[in-house]
Amino acid sequence: MARSLNIARVIPRNRNIEALLLLFAVGINAFELAQIQLSVIDVVNGDFFIYWAPIATAAFVFHLVLRFRARDADSLLLPLAVLLNGLGVAMIYRLDLAKISNHDTDLFAFKQVIWTVVAIAAAAAVVLYIPNHLFLRKYVYLSGVIGLVLLILPVVPFIGRRINGASLWIAIGGFTFQPGELAKIALTIFFAGYLVQRKDSLSVTGRKLLGVQLPRARELGPILIFWVASLLVLVLEKDLGTSLLFFGLFLVMIYTATGRAIYVAVGMGMFLVSGLLVSQLGGYVQGRIDSWLNPLDDTLYNASGGSYQLVQGMFGLAHGGLTGTGLGGGFPQLVPLAESDFIVTSIGEELGLIGLFAVFAVYILFVARGIRIAVNHTDDFSRLLSVGLSFVIALQCFIVIGGVTRVVPLTGLTTPLLAAGGSSLLANWIIIGLLLRISDSVRSETA
Amino acid sequence: MSELALFLVRVAFVGVLWIFIFTIISVLRADLFGQRVVSRVTEENSPTVVSKPILPAAPNSTVRVLATSDAPASAGATKLVITEGENTGFELPLTGREVTIGRAISSDIVITDEYASTQHAKLVLMNDDWLIQDLNSTNGTYLAGTRVGTPAVVKLNTPVKVGKTVFELRA
Repeated sequence: MARSLNIARVIPRNRNIEALLLLFAVGINAFELAQIQLSVIDVVNGDFFIYWAPIATAAFVFHLVLRFRARDADSLLLPLAVLLNGLGVAMIYRLDLAKISNHDTDLFAFKQVIWTVVAIAAAAAVVLYIPNHLFLRKYVYLSGVIGLVLLILPVVPFIGRRINGASLWIAIGGFTFQPGELAKIALTIFFAGYLVQRKDSLSVTGRKLLGVQLPRARELGPILIFWVASLLVLVLEKDLGTSLLFFGLFLVMIYTATGRAIYVAVGMGMFLVSGLLVSQLGGYVQGRIDSWLNPLDDTLYNASGGSYQLVQGMFGLAHGGLTGTGLGGGFPQLVPLAESDFIVTSIGEELGLIGLFAVFAVYILFVARGIRIAVNHTDDFSRLLSVGLSFVIALQCFIVIGGVTRVVPLTGLTTPLLAAGGSSLLANWIIIGLLLRISDSVRSETA
Repeated sequence: MSELALFLVRVAFVGVLWIFIFTIISVLRADLFGQRVVSRVTEENSPTVVSKPILPAAPNSTVRVLATSDAPASAGATKLVITEGENTGFELPLTGREVTIGRAISSDIVITDEYASTQHAKLVLMNDDWLIQDLNSTNGTYLAGTRVGTPAVVKLNTPVKVGKTVFELRA
C-alpha cells in the first residue's frame, strides 16, 4: 500500500523533485571545486565561480524549459547528468591546476565549461523545437545517410585530421570536431526506424541447425552491411572503439526488436573474427592487444604508443586504493591524456574505489532510467529509440572504462559527460534532450 | 588547511556523493523493485458472462448485463492496468474519453502481437459504466473469458483479453 501511495505522490510532482535533486547535484559540484582549491592552492578564490556558476545556471535554465515545455519528462536524468558533467569539469580543473604549476599552457577546464553550456543549450533546443519525437520517423533514411556521412567525414582529404594515430576528427578553421559522436545519434534514429519496419521479417525463423533456430539467409543482409561499415571504420580510421560502439549498438537494437539472441551471437562472432584478422595484419590493433595482455612488459612499456599510458593509469588507481587520496591529493596528471581518455583513472586515484563506484552507480541509474522510458512506451519506435540512446551511453562507458581497467583492449573513446571534449558533450546532451522528450510524451499522450 | 580538516572534507565528500545516489534510488524505488500487478480476479466474480458470443446485435442495441455478481460496477474506475502481455504493468489513467485498443500506432493502447487487429476494440464510458466494444476484430475480445459480441459492461478488476494482452479496470 505504501508503495502505490509513493508512486501516486511522485508522478505529478516530478519537476519539483528534479529541482531539488538538481540543487543537490550543483551543490556537490560546488563541494568538489572548493575541495580542489583548498587542497591545491589553499584558498577558495574567484575562479571557483568561473567553473561552477555557468553550468549551474545552464542546468536550472534547462530545468525551467522542461517545466514549461516537457512537464512530464523524467525527473532524474537531468540531475544525474549535471552531477557527472560537473565532476568532469572539477577533475579537469584539478588537472589544469597541476599543469599550471608545471608551466604547461594546454588547459581544458574553461573550454569544457563553455562546451557544457553550449551542449545544455542544444539539449534545451531539442526539447523546445521537437514537439514530438515521432516526427523523427519521417527522417529515418535521411538520418541513416547523415550518420554514414558523419562516420566517413574524418577520412575525407583536407578536412579530416589524424590525432594520436586515429582519424576521428575534422578541422574547419582552427576548430576540431569528432563527427562520429553525432553519428551515433543519427544512426540510432535510423536503426530504430528501420528495425520497426523489418522486425517481423527478421523474427521469422529459418532452418534449425544443432538445435538453434537460424535466421533466414537474406535477413543477414543488413547485418553484413553494418559489419562491413564497422570494419571500414576500423581499418580506415584506425579506431577500434568507434567501430565496436556502432556494431554493438546495431546488435543490441536488433536484439531488442526481434528478441532473438542468435543475431547477437552471430554478430559478435563476426566482429571477433574480423578483429583478429585485422590484428594479424599487425600495426595498431595488434599493438593494443599486446598492451592489454602484457602491459608490464618492459619493451612494450617503453615503446612509443606502447603500454606506458595504460600502466600509469593502473598505478594511479593503485595509489588511490579503496578510499582515494582526496581531490587534489594525488598525481593524476602523470597519466597522458588524463583529462580525456583516462579521466576515470584520475577519479579513481583521487576518490578511490568507493568514489569510483559512486560514479559507476550514477551511470547505471542514468541508463536504467533510459531503459525505463522505453518500457513505459507502447509503440515500437519510441521503445527502440530510447533503448538505443541509453545503450549507446552504456556501451561507451563499458568500452572506455573496460579499456583503462584492462577488461578489454584500450581504445580511444570519451567517457560520456565526464571526459574533456566538446563533440562528445554536445552529442551526449542531445541524447539527454531526446530521452527527456521521449519520456514526456509517454505521459502526455495518455493524459 | 590542516591534514585532519582535509581528511574530514574528503570523507564527507564521498559520503555526500553516496547520499545523492541513495536519494535517487529512493525516488525510483518503485521502478527498481517493480510495481506489483496481480490480477485480482477471484473465483466468485470471474465467470461473469456478459453477453453471448454469436448472438447478433439487437436492433436497439441495449446492453445486457446477465450476470448478477457482486463485483463492483465500473463506475469508480480511474485507470486501466495491463496485467499480462508485452506491456505488463502499464497504467493508463481513464479520463472519460473513449480508449481505443489495437495495433494501429494511433491507438491509446498499442498492442503489437499478431493476434490483435489494427482497430481491435474500444472502451466507451456510458452512464458511468465502461463498455467494451469489439470492432469486428479477427480474433475477438474476451471479457472474463467470454467472447464479447455486443458491447458489454466491464466491471472493476475483471480481465479483458485482446490478443495476448490482458487488462483490467481498477479504481
